[in-house]
Amino acid sequence: MQIATRQAANATVVDIKGDIDLYNSPEIRKVILEELKEKRTTRLVVNLTNVRYIDSSGVASLVEGLKVSKTMGSRFMLFGLSPAAREVLELSRLIRVFEVFGSEAEALQAV
Amino acid sequence: MDSVLKLTMSSDPRYLSVVRSAIERYASLIGFGEEDCRWITLAVHEALTNIMRHAYHGKEDQPIEISLRETQGGIEVVLLDHGQGVRPEELTGRPLDDVRPGGLGTHMIREIMDKVDYAPYADRNELRMWKAKPAAGD
Repeated sequence: MQIATRQAANATVVDIKGDIDLYNSPEIRKVILEELKEKRTTRLVVNLTNVRYIDSSGVASLVEGLKVSKTMGSRFMLFGLSPAAREVLELSRLIRVFEVFGSEAEALQAV
Repeated sequence: MDSVLKLTMSSDPRYLSVVRSAIERYASLIGFGEEDCRWITLAVHEALTNIMRHAYHGKEDQPIEISLRETQGGIEVVLLDHGQGVRPEELTGRPLDDVRPGGLGTHMIREIMDKVDYAPYADRNELRMWKAKPAAGD
């Protein structure tokens, strides 16, 4: 799994590549919370285009990011969900709580 | 001999992706469709992570035994560990109306599998799960 951040328009994009599971979700949680809490990012967009698999620990990291973003008054968005990732979010009934976009352009346009 | 695949792994999350591949391939070999293979793999994966986190409390050198068996109508998966057991009633999953991280894995397992039995014994914990193949024409 690889994770990197970059600036795009007036948002910070977190690019994740690979499977998200118990082995690496702590790293994803750390990067997301660092952006929100320490760097005070006001618009965080998570790119899941290259994520084929996500488990409940990965979903929990995203939920925690969402909750912290609300506390900090930031926006937290997802885009590029693979069918498998979307299925997992739907199964956990949490897809409704996220702002989900099809592409980076759509997400950035909504910022 | 029945059609059985047995694996033993350490409770190290690094190996989860390897075991996922084996489970998905086994489910495919015994006739499950692509989507069901993904679901079965997710359920077993979630059960393994529960063992790593809650039975072994993050210790990475503890044994987990995985047994996959083709049954007449589907698949039976048995996971054995020797960590701390929980009361079976604690494995019911949690209501999902409360949006918070954690507690999702058990819900996913119960949503995906047709039957889930958990039994803590003196020397081991045993989680037994079944999923039926879709009837022809489904």
